Amino acid sequence: MKWWRSVVSQEIRKILAYRSDFWVTFLGQTLIQLVVARALWQSVFESQNVTTMQGFTLERLTLYYILAPIGTRMLLGESFGYISREIYDGTFTKYLLYPLSFIQYKSLTYLTNSLFFGLQLFIAFILFQVLYAQTPVSLEMVINLLAGIGLFFLGATVYLNLGMCLELCSLWVDNVWSLMVVLRFLTACLGGGYIPLSFYPGWAVRLMNMTPFPYVVSLPIRTIMGQSTTSEILVGMMMLMFWWLVFRVAVHVIWKFGQKSYTGVGQ
Amino acid sequence: MSRYTRLYLYFLRFSFSKSLEFRFDFTFRIFMDTIYYLINIAFFKVIFLHTNLLGGWTEKQMMVFVAGYLLVDAINMTIFSTNMWWLPYFINRGELDYYLIRPVSPLFFLGLREFSVNSFVNFLMALTFCGYAIWDLGEGLSFLNIFFFGLLLLNGSLIYFCIQMLMIIPVFWTHSARGFVDLFYAMGQAMERPDRVYRGWMKIVFTTILPFALIASFPAKIFLDPFDAKTMAHLFIMTVILWSTMLFFWRKGLANYSSASS
Repeated sequence: MKWWRSVVSQEIRKILAYRSDFWVTFLGQTLIQLVVARALWQSVFESQNVTTMQGFTLERLTLYYILAPIGTRMLLGESFGYISREIYDGTFTKYLLYPLSFIQYKSLTYLTNSLFFGLQLFIAFILFQVLYAQTPVSLEMVINLLAGIGLFFLGATVYLNLGMCLELCSLWVDNVWSLMVVLRFLTACLGGGYIPLSFYPGWAVRLMNMTPFPYVVSLPIRTIMGQSTTSEILVGMMMLMFWWLVFRVAVHVIWKFGQKSYTGVGQ
Repeated sequence: MSRYTRLYLYFLRFSFSKSLEFRFDFTFRIFMDTIYYLINIAFFKVIFLHTNLLGGWTEKQMMVFVAGYLLVDAINMTIFSTNMWWLPYFINRGELDYYLIRPVSPLFFLGLREFSVNSFVNFLMALTFCGYAIWDLGEGLSFLNIFFFGLLLLNGSLIYFCIQMLMIIPVFWTHSARGFVDLFYAMGQAMERPDRVYRGWMKIVFTTILPFALIASFPAKIFLDPFDAKTMAHLFIMTVILWSTMLFFWRKGLANYSSASS
């Protein structure tokens, strides 16, 4: 079982290979998304002359828009789109020769990235509390934070399998990256990454709850913010496990049939 | 000039035949952009469930602004996006050599080589939505006004292209795989909000240093609000500055290009 250590350390080295890019991208993306969202909501609050909307103050919404983009990045990992590209150009062959299954290998590299973004999420939350909200960090906050990161991580395993279902379609069709982009859009929109779900009409939330997206984005954020009850977290975890099972079976079936279509052309 | 026109027509011909070769990809991409449009419209529809004014605009006025930035996005997706996607890889892998030795401007060749046919379909959708949003506004606007709005949006596309290039050009020095392109896409959100929501230092940043607000918000402001010569002058001066800066750094980057990986 030592192979997983090699894969994880190789992946971390890859993440840190271009440090300036990495930090500029991380800080830049987080800050830009935050200031743009905050400016928009500040304008909405002022035009309505209110201090609270749908249970959110402007400060809580600011925290929401710190957690949403980093949390979404935890779901996306970094190596998305690679499987379909590798199938397309034939470099996928190497995974068939590795002494471990490609699904194990890809899952591990993906989850290493997720963990890395989880660490960023942890730091960002603590910095927000200390520097912006100027609230002492309590044990309860840390427990909520760790529970939320755990849910994001669980969500990442669901998203990984859902994404893999789409990526493996490239065993039959030429290019599926646009489907991955659609998945990203839908995850952010239906999961509450763009706007907290409490701002949507009730009928829309009921429909969204029939999809896995609110459980992979909104639930972890609300947990970190201390807005989820224990029963909501437990139900959410069960839903995540249900969706994980559904997509895991789908990956297995697609791979079983799809590997017969793989030709390794392009090597 | 006619040589460049002829060359561009060849680019179009190749792009059309290439697009139709990958039919699934072609369809998926149209689907992707359609979802993007719907999400953007839905975003503001949800916001307007909780307010009746945003940045001084009503929902109908906001839809004209939304249509404006969707149109700019469609123009860029159609004309530049595929080229911009590959440019950092070409620089990084040393594949720029093939383009530098050709007897045409490398910027022209690398910037316009691939025309995205599927995005052209989405451009037509965005154009239709823009037409609908203007019609729904119900303010007897003259053809000249609408034409001028179109010109300003084309100018917005040029600004978008310049900013994107300025995020890619650092690859000449950093030798990274993507440059700051991911950061550019994240910053693209700033284009999708009316500039009046930004205050203080943010307003300065988004109208001068990273002038995303000039792409669609300024054209919509000029179109929807009473004419303001100051806004117009700001837009014109910033376009000239951005274009010149982009050309300056592009030339510096080419001079620094070492073709190390080739």
